Amino acid sequence: MTAATTPSGADVPVRGSFRGVSDLPLVGRQVYFEQLTFWLNPIGAAITIGFSVVFIVIFESTSRHSTVGYLAHIDLGQYYLPAFAAYGVMAACFNILAIQLVNRREMGLLKRQRLSPLPTWMLLSAVFLSTAIIATIQIVLVILVGRLGYDVHGPQDIGTFVLVLVVGMLSFTALGVAVSTLVPNADSAGPIVSLVFFILIALSGLYFPVKAGSGLATFTDVFPIRHLIVASVDSFNGIPGTSPWNDLLVMAIWGVAGVFVALRRWEWSPKRG
Amino acid sequence: MPAVSVEHLRKAYGDNLAVRDVSFEVQKGEVFALLGPNGAGKTTCVEILEGFRDRSSGRVETLGVDPADHATQRWLRTRIGVVLQELAVEPYYTVRQVLTRNAGYYPNPRPVPEVIELIGLRERADDRIKRLSGGQQRRLDVGLGIIGNPELLFLDEPTTGLDPSGRRETWELIHRLAAAGTTVMLTTHYMDEVEALADRVAVLYGQEIVAEGTPSSLGGRDLGAVTIRFRLPDGVTVESLPVPAVPADDGHVAVHTDDEVRVLHELTGWALAHGLPLVGLSVLRTSLEDVYLGLTRGVGSDAVHGPAVGL
Repeated sequence: MTAATTPSGADVPVRGSFRGVSDLPLVGRQVYFEQLTFWLNPIGAAITIGFSVVFIVIFESTSRHSTVGYLAHIDLGQYYLPAFAAYGVMAACFNILAIQLVNRREMGLLKRQRLSPLPTWMLLSAVFLSTAIIATIQIVLVILVGRLGYDVHGPQDIGTFVLVLVVGMLSFTALGVAVSTLVPNADSAGPIVSLVFFILIALSGLYFPVKAGSGLATFTDVFPIRHLIVASVDSFNGIPGTSPWNDLLVMAIWGVAGVFVALRRWEWSPKRG
Repeated sequence: MPAVSVEHLRKAYGDNLAVRDVSFEVQKGEVFALLGPNGAGKTTCVEILEGFRDRSSGRVETLGVDPADHATQRWLRTRIGVVLQELAVEPYYTVRQVLTRNAGYYPNPRPVPEVIELIGLRERADDRIKRLSGGQQRRLDVGLGIIGNPELLFLDEPTTGLDPSGRRETWELIHRLAAAGTTVMLTTHYMDEVEALADRVAVLYGQEIVAEGTPSSLGGRDLGAVTIRFRLPDGVTVESLPVPAVPADDGHVAVHTDDEVRVLHELTGWALAHGLPLVGLSVLRTSLEDVYLGLTRGVGSDAVHGPAVGL
Protein backbone atom coordinates (compact mmCIF):
# COMPACT_ATOMS: atom_id res chain seq x y z
CA MET A 1 0.00 0.00 0.00
CA THR A 2 1.58 3.24 -1.09
CA ALA A 3 0.59 6.85 -0.82
CA ALA A 4 0.70 9.15 -3.81
CA THR A 5 2.24 12.60 -3.44
CA THR A 6 1.87 15.84 -5.35
CA PRO A 7 4.95 17.58 -6.84
CA SER A 8 5.03 19.69 -3.65
CA GLY A 9 5.22 16.52 -1.60
CA ALA A 10 1.75 16.71 -0.05
CA ASP A 11 -0.18 13.48 0.33
CA VAL A 12 -3.01 12.88 -2.10
CA PRO A 13 -5.63 10.32 -1.15
CA VAL A 14 -5.28 7.14 -3.18
CA ARG A 15 -8.66 6.06 -4.45
CA GLY A 16 -9.93 2.51 -4.68
CA SER A 17 -9.57 -0.55 -2.48
CA PHE A 18 -7.87 -2.73 -5.09
CA ARG A 19 -4.23 -2.15 -5.99
CA GLY A 20 -3.91 -4.95 -8.55
CA VAL A 21 -1.21 -7.60 -8.46
CA SER A 22 0.59 -5.88 -5.60
CA ASP A 23 -2.32 -6.89 -3.37
CA LEU A 24 -1.80 -10.61 -3.91
CA PRO A 25 1.04 -10.99 -1.36
CA LEU A 26 -1.20 -9.27 1.18
CA VAL A 27 -3.96 -11.78 0.49
CA GLY A 28 -1.45 -14.60 0.93
CA ARG A 29 -0.22 -13.07 4.16
CA GLN A 30 -3.76 -12.81 5.49
CA VAL A 31 -4.47 -16.43 4.52
CA TYR A 32 -1.38 -17.38 6.56
CA PHE A 33 -2.78 -15.58 9.61
CA GLU A 34 -6.22 -17.11 9.07
CA GLN A 35 -4.59 -20.54 9.07
CA LEU A 36 -2.56 -19.58 12.13
CA THR A 37 -5.78 -18.62 13.90
CA PHE A 38 -7.21 -22.07 13.09
CA TRP A 39 -4.17 -24.13 14.08
CA LEU A 40 -3.34 -22.11 17.21
CA ASN A 41 -6.35 -23.77 18.79
CA PRO A 42 -5.04 -27.33 18.42
CA ILE A 43 -7.94 -29.02 20.16
CA GLY A 44 -10.45 -27.26 17.95
CA ALA A 45 -8.39 -27.98 14.84
CA ALA A 46 -7.96 -31.65 15.74
CA ILE A 47 -11.68 -32.10 16.37
CA THR A 48 -12.56 -30.32 13.12
CA ILE A 49 -10.14 -32.27 10.97
CA GLY A 50 -10.39 -35.50 12.93
CA PHE A 51 -14.16 -35.70 12.88
CA SER A 52 -14.42 -36.68 9.22
CA VAL A 53 -11.46 -39.09 9.53
CA VAL A 54 -12.95 -40.83 12.57
CA PHE A 55 -16.30 -41.08 10.81
CA ILE A 56 -14.82 -42.53 7.63
CA VAL A 57 -12.91 -45.14 9.68
CA ILE A 58 -16.07 -46.13 11.57
CA PHE A 59 -18.31 -46.31 8.52
CA GLU A 60 -15.76 -48.02 6.27
CA SER A 61 -15.02 -50.59 8.98
CA THR A 62 -18.68 -51.45 9.52
CA SER A 63 -19.77 -51.47 5.88
CA ARG A 64 -17.52 -54.11 4.38
CA HIS A 65 -19.14 -56.54 1.96
CA SER A 66 -22.33 -54.45 1.73
CA THR A 67 -23.45 -53.02 -1.59
CA VAL A 68 -25.92 -50.36 -2.71
CA GLY A 69 -28.25 -52.03 -5.19
CA TYR A 70 -29.77 -48.96 -6.78
CA LEU A 71 -26.34 -47.40 -7.29
CA ALA A 72 -24.95 -49.95 -9.75
CA HIS A 73 -24.25 -52.30 -6.81
CA ILE A 74 -21.24 -50.32 -5.62
CA ASP A 75 -19.70 -51.29 -2.29
CA LEU A 76 -21.05 -49.30 0.61
CA GLY A 77 -17.44 -48.24 1.25
CA GLN A 78 -17.42 -46.68 -2.20
CA TYR A 79 -20.47 -44.67 -1.12
CA TYR A 80 -19.14 -43.45 2.20
CA LEU A 81 -15.80 -42.13 1.00
CA PRO A 82 -17.15 -39.46 -1.41
CA ALA A 83 -20.05 -38.79 0.97
CA PHE A 84 -17.59 -37.94 3.74
CA ALA A 85 -15.48 -35.91 1.33
CA ALA A 86 -18.66 -33.89 0.75
CA TYR A 87 -19.13 -33.76 4.52
CA GLY A 88 -15.64 -32.25 4.84
CA VAL A 89 -16.68 -29.46 2.48
CA MET A 90 -19.93 -28.81 4.30
CA ALA A 91 -18.36 -28.95 7.76
CA ALA A 92 -15.56 -26.51 6.90
CA CYS A 93 -17.45 -24.13 4.61
CA PHE A 94 -20.78 -24.07 6.40
CA ASN A 95 -20.71 -25.30 9.97
CA ILE A 96 -17.30 -24.10 11.10
CA LEU A 97 -17.34 -20.93 9.02
CA ALA A 98 -20.75 -19.83 10.30
CA ILE A 99 -19.82 -20.41 13.94
CA GLN A 100 -16.44 -18.73 13.46
CA LEU A 101 -17.98 -15.63 11.85
CA VAL A 102 -20.55 -15.25 14.62
CA ASN A 103 -17.81 -15.52 17.24
CA ARG A 104 -15.64 -13.01 15.42
CA ARG A 105 -18.49 -10.56 15.08
CA GLU A 106 -19.58 -10.87 18.71
CA MET A 107 -15.99 -10.57 20.00
CA GLY A 108 -15.60 -7.34 18.05
CA LEU A 109 -12.89 -8.82 15.82
CA LEU A 110 -14.78 -8.01 12.62
CA LYS A 111 -15.21 -4.42 13.74
CA ARG A 112 -11.52 -4.07 14.48
CA GLN A 113 -10.59 -5.50 11.10
CA ARG A 114 -13.10 -3.24 9.39
CA LEU A 115 -11.28 -0.28 10.95
CA SER A 116 -7.89 -1.50 9.74
CA PRO A 117 -6.60 -0.76 6.21
CA LEU A 118 -7.32 -4.36 5.21
CA PRO A 119 -10.03 -4.03 2.54
CA THR A 120 -13.21 -6.04 2.95
CA TRP A 121 -12.58 -8.00 -0.21
CA MET A 122 -9.13 -8.99 1.00
CA LEU A 123 -10.33 -10.08 4.43
CA LEU A 124 -13.21 -12.13 3.06
CA SER A 125 -11.06 -13.66 0.31
CA ALA A 126 -8.54 -14.77 2.91
CA VAL A 127 -11.26 -16.20 5.16
CA PHE A 128 -12.78 -18.13 2.24
CA LEU A 129 -9.44 -19.39 0.95
CA SER A 130 -8.47 -20.50 4.43
CA THR A 131 -11.80 -22.31 4.74
CA ALA A 132 -11.20 -23.99 1.37
CA ILE A 133 -7.77 -25.15 2.60
CA ILE A 134 -9.34 -26.75 5.67
CA ALA A 135 -11.98 -28.42 3.50
CA THR A 136 -9.31 -29.68 1.09
CA ILE A 137 -7.24 -31.13 3.93
CA GLN A 138 -10.30 -33.06 5.08
CA ILE A 139 -11.04 -34.30 1.54
CA VAL A 140 -7.45 -35.46 1.03
CA LEU A 141 -7.34 -37.19 4.42
CA VAL A 142 -10.66 -38.97 3.82
CA ILE A 143 -9.54 -40.16 0.37
CA LEU A 144 -6.16 -41.31 1.71
CA VAL A 145 -7.75 -43.24 4.57
CA GLY A 146 -10.31 -44.82 2.23
CA ARG A 147 -7.84 -45.79 -0.48
CA LEU A 148 -5.00 -46.94 1.76
CA GLY A 149 -7.00 -48.47 4.59
CA TYR A 150 -10.11 -49.82 2.91
CA ASP A 151 -9.19 -50.42 -0.71
CA VAL A 152 -11.66 -47.87 -2.04
CA HIS A 153 -11.13 -46.94 -5.69
CA GLY A 154 -11.66 -43.57 -7.31
CA PRO A 155 -12.41 -40.96 -8.21
CA GLN A 156 -13.44 -42.40 -11.57
CA ASP A 157 -14.47 -39.04 -13.04
CA ILE A 158 -11.94 -36.81 -11.34
CA GLY A 159 -12.85 -33.66 -13.30
CA THR A 160 -16.51 -33.81 -12.35
CA PHE A 161 -15.66 -34.84 -8.78
CA VAL A 162 -13.41 -31.78 -8.34
CA LEU A 163 -16.00 -29.51 -10.02
CA VAL A 164 -18.73 -30.79 -7.69
CA LEU A 165 -16.58 -30.20 -4.60
CA VAL A 166 -15.53 -26.72 -5.76
CA VAL A 167 -19.14 -25.69 -6.47
CA GLY A 168 -20.04 -27.20 -3.10
CA MET A 169 -17.36 -25.08 -1.40
CA LEU A 170 -18.66 -21.90 -3.04
CA SER A 171 -22.29 -22.66 -2.31
CA PHE A 172 -21.81 -23.73 1.31
CA THR A 173 -19.43 -20.84 1.99
CA ALA A 174 -22.13 -18.41 0.87
CA LEU A 175 -24.67 -20.26 3.02
CA GLY A 176 -22.28 -20.29 5.98
CA VAL A 177 -21.89 -16.52 5.78
CA ALA A 178 -25.65 -16.08 5.36
CA VAL A 179 -26.48 -18.25 8.36
CA SER A 180 -23.92 -16.40 10.48
CA THR A 181 -25.92 -13.21 9.92
CA LEU A 182 -29.07 -14.89 11.26
CA VAL A 183 -27.52 -16.09 14.53
CA PRO A 184 -28.00 -13.47 17.25
CA ASN A 185 -25.10 -14.24 19.60
CA ALA A 186 -22.02 -16.36 20.16
CA ASP A 187 -23.64 -18.59 22.78
CA SER A 188 -26.29 -19.83 20.37
CA ALA A 189 -24.03 -20.10 17.31
CA GLY A 190 -22.82 -23.66 17.95
CA PRO A 191 -26.19 -25.15 18.99
CA ILE A 192 -28.24 -23.48 16.24
CA VAL A 193 -25.86 -24.09 13.34
CA SER A 194 -24.84 -27.60 14.38
CA LEU A 195 -28.40 -28.75 15.11
CA VAL A 196 -29.65 -27.72 11.68
CA PHE A 197 -26.53 -29.05 10.01
CA PHE A 198 -26.39 -32.48 11.62
CA ILE A 199 -30.10 -33.16 11.22
CA LEU A 200 -29.99 -32.27 7.54
CA ILE A 201 -26.83 -34.24 6.76
CA ALA A 202 -28.36 -37.29 8.44
CA LEU A 203 -31.61 -37.00 6.49
CA SER A 204 -29.74 -36.23 3.27
CA GLY A 205 -27.95 -39.56 3.18
CA LEU A 206 -24.56 -39.06 4.78
CA TYR A 207 -24.86 -42.01 7.18
CA PHE A 208 -27.02 -44.23 4.96
CA PRO A 209 -27.85 -44.08 1.25
CA VAL A 210 -31.28 -42.58 0.49
CA LYS A 211 -32.88 -43.93 -2.66
CA ALA A 212 -33.86 -41.32 -5.21
CA GLY A 213 -37.65 -40.87 -5.43
CA SER A 214 -38.30 -41.91 -1.82
CA GLY A 215 -40.23 -39.54 0.42
CA LEU A 216 -37.10 -38.66 2.36
CA ALA A 217 -35.16 -38.00 -0.84
CA THR A 218 -37.97 -35.83 -2.18
CA PHE A 219 -37.91 -33.77 1.02
CA THR A 220 -34.13 -33.43 1.24
CA ASP A 221 -33.84 -32.72 -2.48
CA VAL A 222 -35.02 -29.22 -1.58
CA PHE A 223 -31.77 -28.59 0.28
CA PRO A 224 -28.27 -28.48 -1.21
CA ILE A 225 -26.73 -31.07 1.14
CA ARG A 226 -28.19 -34.11 -0.57
CA HIS A 227 -27.19 -32.75 -3.97
CA LEU A 228 -23.56 -32.39 -2.91
CA ILE A 229 -23.52 -35.91 -1.48
CA VAL A 230 -25.25 -37.45 -4.52
CA ALA A 231 -23.09 -35.64 -7.09
CA SER A 232 -19.93 -36.54 -5.16
CA VAL A 233 -20.88 -40.23 -4.93
CA ASP A 234 -21.93 -40.41 -8.60
CA SER A 235 -18.80 -38.72 -9.96
CA PHE A 236 -16.43 -40.52 -7.60
CA ASN A 237 -17.77 -43.88 -8.71
CA GLY A 238 -18.54 -42.96 -12.33
CA ILE A 239 -22.09 -44.32 -11.98
CA PRO A 240 -23.54 -44.75 -15.47
CA GLY A 241 -26.50 -42.61 -16.51
CA THR A 242 -25.92 -39.91 -13.91
CA SER A 243 -25.30 -36.25 -14.53
CA PRO A 244 -24.16 -33.66 -12.00
CA TRP A 245 -25.80 -30.65 -13.65
CA ASN A 246 -29.08 -30.68 -11.77
CA ASP A 247 -27.22 -31.08 -8.48
CA LEU A 248 -24.83 -28.27 -9.40
CA LEU A 249 -27.75 -26.03 -10.37
CA VAL A 250 -29.52 -26.55 -7.04
CA MET A 251 -26.30 -25.86 -5.13
CA ALA A 252 -25.71 -22.74 -7.24
CA ILE A 253 -29.24 -21.46 -6.54
CA TRP A 254 -28.74 -21.95 -2.81
CA GLY A 255 -25.36 -20.25 -3.09
CA VAL A 256 -26.85 -17.20 -4.81
CA ALA A 257 -29.56 -17.05 -2.16
CA GLY A 258 -26.82 -17.19 0.47
CA VAL A 259 -24.96 -14.30 -1.16
CA PHE A 260 -28.19 -12.28 -1.28
CA VAL A 261 -28.92 -12.83 2.42
CA ALA A 262 -25.30 -12.19 3.39
CA LEU A 263 -25.17 -8.89 1.52
CA ARG A 264 -28.42 -7.70 3.02
CA ARG A 265 -27.79 -8.77 6.60
CA TRP A 266 -24.02 -8.66 7.07
CA GLU A 267 -22.90 -6.71 10.14
CA TRP A 268 -19.45 -5.75 11.33
CA SER A 269 -20.34 -4.88 14.89
CA PRO A 270 -21.70 -7.19 17.58
CA LYS A 271 -25.46 -7.72 17.63
CA ARG A 272 -25.48 -7.87 21.44
CA GLY A 273 -26.53 -4.59 23.01
CA MET B 1 -6.29 22.08 7.14
CA PRO B 2 -7.67 20.66 10.39
CA ALA B 3 -7.27 16.96 11.09
CA VAL B 4 -10.99 16.66 11.71
CA SER B 5 -13.75 18.97 10.59
CA VAL B 6 -17.40 18.41 11.48
CA GLU B 7 -20.25 20.72 10.44
CA HIS B 8 -23.88 20.23 11.40
CA LEU B 9 -23.47 16.49 11.79
CA ARG B 10 -26.70 14.63 12.33
CA LYS B 11 -27.26 10.91 12.79
CA ALA B 12 -30.58 9.19 13.31
CA TYR B 13 -31.49 5.52 13.65
CA GLY B 14 -35.07 5.49 12.47
CA ASP B 15 -36.92 7.86 14.79
CA ASN B 16 -34.11 7.92 17.34
CA LEU B 17 -31.71 10.81 17.05
CA ALA B 18 -28.18 9.82 18.12
CA VAL B 19 -26.39 13.05 17.15
CA ARG B 20 -28.02 16.39 16.30
CA ASP B 21 -26.32 19.36 14.65
CA VAL B 22 -22.81 18.76 16.00
CA SER B 23 -19.97 20.96 14.75
CA PHE B 24 -16.33 21.09 15.86
CA GLU B 25 -12.80 20.99 14.53
CA VAL B 26 -9.67 19.21 15.71
CA GLN B 27 -6.41 20.84 14.68
CA LYS B 28 -3.39 18.79 13.69
CA GLY B 29 -1.20 17.90 16.67
CA GLU B 30 -4.01 18.61 19.12
CA VAL B 31 -5.42 16.34 21.82
CA PHE B 32 -9.18 16.81 21.64
CA ALA B 33 -11.57 15.22 24.12
CA LEU B 34 -15.23 14.51 23.59
CA LEU B 35 -16.77 14.37 27.03
CA GLY B 36 -20.28 13.27 27.80
CA PRO B 37 -22.49 10.82 29.67
CA ASN B 38 -23.27 7.38 28.31
CA GLY B 39 -25.59 7.58 25.33
CA ALA B 40 -24.73 11.19 24.51
CA GLY B 41 -23.47 10.22 21.06
CA LYS B 42 -19.70 10.23 21.60
CA THR B 43 -19.05 6.81 20.08
CA THR B 44 -21.44 7.48 17.20
CA CYS B 45 -19.53 10.70 16.39
CA VAL B 46 -16.19 8.92 16.50
CA GLU B 47 -17.44 5.98 14.41
CA ILE B 48 -18.67 8.41 11.76
CA LEU B 49 -15.27 10.11 11.73
CA GLU B 50 -13.56 6.72 11.37
CA GLY B 51 -15.79 5.87 8.41
CA PHE B 52 -17.33 2.95 10.30
CA ARG B 53 -20.80 4.45 10.35
CA ASP B 54 -22.58 6.60 7.79
CA ARG B 55 -24.11 9.94 8.79
CA SER B 56 -27.65 11.12 8.11
CA SER B 57 -26.60 14.64 7.13
CA GLY B 58 -23.91 17.25 7.64
CA ARG B 59 -20.35 17.60 6.43
CA VAL B 60 -17.46 15.59 7.85
CA GLU B 61 -13.80 15.45 6.87
CA THR B 62 -11.11 13.30 8.41
CA LEU B 63 -7.57 14.12 7.26
CA GLY B 64 -9.08 16.00 4.34
CA VAL B 65 -11.35 13.26 3.01
CA ASP B 66 -14.94 12.28 3.58
CA PRO B 67 -14.70 9.18 5.78
CA ALA B 68 -17.91 7.81 4.24
CA ASP B 69 -16.33 7.80 0.76
CA HIS B 70 -15.57 4.11 0.18
CA ALA B 71 -13.07 5.01 -2.54
CA THR B 72 -10.67 6.64 -0.05
CA GLN B 73 -11.38 4.51 3.01
CA ARG B 74 -8.41 2.23 2.46
CA TRP B 75 -6.11 5.25 2.18
CA LEU B 76 -7.66 6.90 5.22
CA ARG B 77 -7.30 3.80 7.36
CA THR B 78 -3.58 3.62 6.73
CA ARG B 79 -3.38 7.03 8.41
CA ILE B 80 -5.61 6.61 11.42
CA GLY B 81 -5.36 4.41 14.48
CA VAL B 82 -8.33 3.25 16.50
CA VAL B 83 -8.58 2.03 20.07
CA LEU B 84 -12.03 0.61 20.58
CA GLN B 85 -14.10 0.86 23.72
CA GLU B 86 -14.03 -2.91 24.12
CA LEU B 87 -11.12 -5.27 23.77
CA ALA B 88 -11.17 -7.17 20.48
CA VAL B 89 -8.18 -9.45 20.03
CA GLU B 90 -7.89 -13.13 19.11
CA PRO B 91 -7.19 -15.01 22.35
CA TYR B 92 -4.86 -17.65 20.90
CA TYR B 93 -2.35 -15.26 19.33
CA THR B 94 0.65 -14.05 21.26
CA VAL B 95 1.16 -10.32 21.77
CA ARG B 96 3.96 -10.35 19.20
CA GLN B 97 1.93 -12.32 16.63
CA VAL B 98 -1.10 -10.03 16.67
CA LEU B 99 1.03 -6.89 16.50
CA THR B 100 3.07 -8.39 13.64
CA ARG B 101 -0.08 -9.28 11.75
CA ASN B 102 -1.59 -5.81 12.11
CA ALA B 103 1.71 -4.06 11.34
CA GLY B 104 1.54 -5.68 7.92
CA TYR B 105 -1.66 -3.79 7.12
CA TYR B 106 0.14 -0.41 7.13
CA PRO B 107 2.68 1.12 4.76
CA ASN B 108 4.87 2.62 7.49
CA PRO B 109 4.22 0.76 10.72
CA ARG B 110 6.10 1.27 13.96
CA PRO B 111 8.54 -1.56 14.67
CA VAL B 112 6.78 -4.27 16.67
CA PRO B 113 9.45 -4.39 19.44
CA GLU B 114 9.11 -0.62 19.86
CA VAL B 115 5.35 -0.89 20.33
CA ILE B 116 5.75 -3.78 22.76
CA GLU B 117 8.13 -1.60 24.75
CA LEU B 118 5.80 1.42 24.58
CA ILE B 119 2.84 -0.51 25.96
CA GLY B 120 4.94 -2.14 28.65
CA LEU B 121 4.43 -5.75 27.60
CA ARG B 122 8.03 -6.79 26.90
CA GLU B 123 7.89 -9.54 29.52
CA ARG B 124 4.62 -10.88 28.08
CA ALA B 125 5.44 -10.48 24.37
CA ASP B 126 5.37 -14.21 23.65
CA ASP B 127 2.47 -15.07 25.93
CA ARG B 128 -0.94 -15.86 24.53
CA ILE B 129 -3.37 -12.99 24.81
CA LYS B 130 -5.89 -15.05 26.78
CA ARG B 131 -3.29 -15.32 29.56
CA LEU B 132 -2.89 -11.54 29.92
CA SER B 133 -4.68 -9.61 32.66
CA GLY B 134 -7.53 -7.28 31.69
CA GLY B 135 -5.29 -4.25 32.02
CA GLN B 136 -2.56 -5.82 29.90
CA GLN B 137 -5.10 -6.70 27.22
CA ARG B 138 -6.30 -3.09 27.25
CA ARG B 139 -2.72 -1.91 26.76
CA LEU B 140 -2.37 -4.31 23.85
CA ASP B 141 -5.48 -2.71 22.38
CA VAL B 142 -3.70 0.65 22.58
CA GLY B 143 -0.69 -0.99 20.91
CA LEU B 144 -2.89 -2.11 18.02
CA GLY B 145 -4.11 1.46 17.71
CA ILE B 146 -0.61 2.87 17.32
CA ILE B 147 1.11 0.05 15.40
CA GLY B 148 0.35 1.78 12.08
CA ASN B 149 2.14 4.96 13.19
CA PRO B 150 -1.07 6.97 12.72
CA GLU B 151 -1.34 10.68 12.02
CA LEU B 152 -4.67 10.67 13.83
CA LEU B 153 -5.48 8.40 16.75
CA PHE B 154 -9.04 7.77 17.93
CA LEU B 155 -9.27 6.58 21.52
CA ASP B 156 -12.70 5.50 22.67
CA GLU B 157 -12.56 5.49 26.47
CA PRO B 158 -8.99 4.22 26.43
CA THR B 159 -8.47 3.79 30.17
CA THR B 160 -11.76 2.17 31.11
CA GLY B 161 -10.90 -0.98 33.04
CA LEU B 162 -7.31 0.01 33.80
CA ASP B 163 -5.91 0.24 37.31
CA PRO B 164 -4.48 3.60 38.45
CA SER B 165 -0.93 2.78 37.36
CA GLY B 166 -2.18 1.47 34.02
CA ARG B 167 -4.10 4.71 33.49
CA ARG B 168 -1.02 6.78 34.26
CA GLU B 169 1.07 4.73 31.86
CA THR B 170 -1.55 5.14 29.13
CA TRP B 171 -1.68 8.89 29.76
CA GLU B 172 2.10 9.03 29.55
CA LEU B 173 1.98 7.15 26.24
CA ILE B 174 -0.66 9.55 24.87
CA HIS B 175 1.48 12.50 25.98
CA ARG B 176 4.45 11.06 24.11
CA LEU B 177 2.40 10.45 20.96
CA ALA B 178 1.01 13.98 21.09
CA ALA B 179 4.47 15.42 21.66
CA ALA B 180 5.62 13.56 18.54
CA GLY B 181 2.88 15.27 16.52
CA THR B 182 0.10 12.67 16.54
CA THR B 183 -3.36 14.20 16.60
CA VAL B 184 -5.45 12.50 19.26
CA MET B 185 -9.20 12.46 19.57
CA LEU B 186 -10.49 10.73 22.65
CA THR B 187 -13.84 10.10 24.23
CA THR B 188 -14.04 9.75 27.95
CA HIS B 189 -16.20 10.37 30.96
CA TYR B 190 -13.25 10.81 33.33
CA MET B 191 -12.68 14.48 34.26
CA ASP B 192 -9.13 13.87 35.44
CA GLU B 193 -8.35 12.27 32.08
CA VAL B 194 -9.56 15.36 30.26
CA GLU B 195 -7.56 17.66 32.53
CA ALA B 196 -4.43 15.51 32.20
CA LEU B 197 -4.55 15.01 28.44
CA ALA B 198 -6.74 17.36 26.47
CA ASP B 199 -5.76 20.61 24.81
CA ARG B 200 -9.43 21.20 24.11
CA VAL B 201 -12.65 19.54 25.16
CA ALA B 202 -16.21 19.52 23.91
CA VAL B 203 -19.11 18.40 26.07
CA LEU B 204 -21.75 16.35 24.28
CA TYR B 205 -25.12 16.54 26.01
CA GLY B 206 -28.49 15.54 24.66
CA GLN B 207 -26.88 14.56 21.34
CA GLU B 208 -25.37 18.04 20.78
CA ILE B 209 -22.33 20.00 21.90
CA VAL B 210 -23.21 22.32 24.77
CA ALA B 211 -19.75 23.64 25.63
CA GLU B 212 -16.33 23.69 24.06
CA GLY B 213 -12.99 25.11 25.15
CA THR B 214 -9.82 24.32 27.00
CA PRO B 215 -10.25 22.22 30.15
CA SER B 216 -9.28 25.23 32.28
CA SER B 217 -11.78 27.59 30.64
CA LEU B 218 -14.71 25.28 29.89
CA GLY B 219 -18.03 26.73 30.94
CA GLY B 220 -16.26 29.95 32.09
CA ARG B 221 -14.59 28.18 35.00
CA ASP B 222 -11.53 30.44 34.65
CA LEU B 223 -13.75 33.48 35.16
CA GLY B 224 -16.18 32.20 37.77
CA ALA B 225 -16.25 32.39 41.53
CA VAL B 226 -13.69 30.75 43.77
CA THR B 227 -14.12 29.20 47.20
CA ILE B 228 -11.62 30.05 49.96
CA ARG B 229 -11.56 27.47 52.75
CA PHE B 230 -9.75 27.24 56.06
CA ARG B 231 -10.23 25.82 59.53
CA LEU B 232 -11.92 28.30 61.87
CA PRO B 233 -9.33 29.31 64.51
CA ASP B 234 -10.09 28.38 68.11
CA GLY B 235 -12.18 30.98 69.91
CA VAL B 236 -13.27 32.68 66.70
CA THR B 237 -16.83 32.73 65.43
CA VAL B 238 -17.90 32.88 61.82
CA GLU B 239 -19.53 36.23 62.47
CA SER B 240 -16.33 37.74 63.75
CA LEU B 241 -14.39 37.07 60.55
CA PRO B 242 -13.54 40.14 58.46
CA VAL B 243 -15.30 38.72 55.36
CA PRO B 244 -18.69 37.01 54.92
CA ALA B 245 -18.25 33.26 55.40
CA VAL B 246 -20.37 30.16 55.89
CA PRO B 247 -19.66 27.08 57.98
CA ALA B 248 -18.39 24.06 56.04
CA ASP B 249 -17.57 20.48 57.06
CA ASP B 250 -14.80 19.38 59.47
CA GLY B 251 -14.75 22.71 61.33
CA HIS B 252 -13.86 24.59 58.19
CA VAL B 253 -15.47 27.75 56.85
CA ALA B 254 -15.96 28.71 53.22
CA VAL B 255 -15.86 32.12 51.61
CA HIS B 256 -17.37 32.39 48.13
CA THR B 257 -16.11 35.35 46.13
CA ASP B 258 -15.35 36.71 42.67
CA ASP B 259 -12.61 38.93 44.14
CA GLU B 260 -10.21 36.47 45.69
CA VAL B 261 -7.20 38.83 45.82
CA ARG B 262 -8.97 41.42 47.94
CA VAL B 263 -10.64 38.82 50.17
CA LEU B 264 -7.39 36.96 50.75
CA HIS B 265 -5.64 40.21 51.55
CA GLU B 266 -8.28 41.15 54.15
CA LEU B 267 -8.37 37.68 55.63
CA THR B 268 -4.61 37.11 55.92
CA GLY B 269 -4.09 40.68 57.16
CA TRP B 270 -6.69 40.09 59.87
CA ALA B 271 -5.11 36.74 60.83
CA LEU B 272 -1.62 38.22 61.06
CA ALA B 273 -2.86 41.15 63.10
CA HIS B 274 -4.51 38.78 65.60
CA GLY B 275 -1.79 36.15 65.54
CA LEU B 276 -4.20 33.47 64.36
CA PRO B 277 -3.39 30.53 62.11
CA LEU B 278 -5.55 29.82 59.04
CA VAL B 279 -5.01 26.09 58.99
CA GLY B 280 -5.75 24.36 55.66
CA LEU B 281 -6.11 27.64 53.76
CA SER B 282 -6.97 26.82 50.14
CA VAL B 283 -8.39 28.58 47.11
CA LEU B 284 -10.59 26.36 44.96
CA ARG B 285 -11.79 27.28 41.51
CA THR B 286 -14.93 25.59 40.13
CA SER B 287 -13.85 22.09 39.11
CA LEU B 288 -14.27 20.64 35.66
CA GLU B 289 -16.56 18.08 37.26
CA ASP B 290 -18.75 20.88 38.66
CA VAL B 291 -18.98 22.45 35.21
CA TYR B 292 -19.65 19.08 33.58
CA LEU B 293 -22.36 18.12 36.05
CA GLY B 294 -23.93 21.53 35.63
CA LEU B 295 -24.10 21.00 31.89
CA THR B 296 -25.25 17.40 31.89
CA ARG B 297 -27.38 17.01 34.99
CA GLY B 298 -30.42 14.88 34.30
CA VAL B 299 -28.99 13.18 31.24
CA GLY B 300 -28.80 9.43 30.92
CA SER B 301 -32.20 8.17 30.03
CA ASP B 302 -32.05 9.18 26.38
CA ALA B 303 -29.26 6.90 25.32
CA VAL B 304 -29.40 5.87 21.68
CA HIS B 305 -27.31 2.94 20.56
CA GLY B 306 -26.44 2.57 16.93
CA PRO B 307 -27.39 -0.54 15.02
CA ALA B 308 -24.79 -2.75 13.48
CA VAL B 309 -22.99 -1.74 10.29
CA GLY B 310 -23.45 -3.71 7.09
CA LEU B 311 -21.30 -4.32 4.03
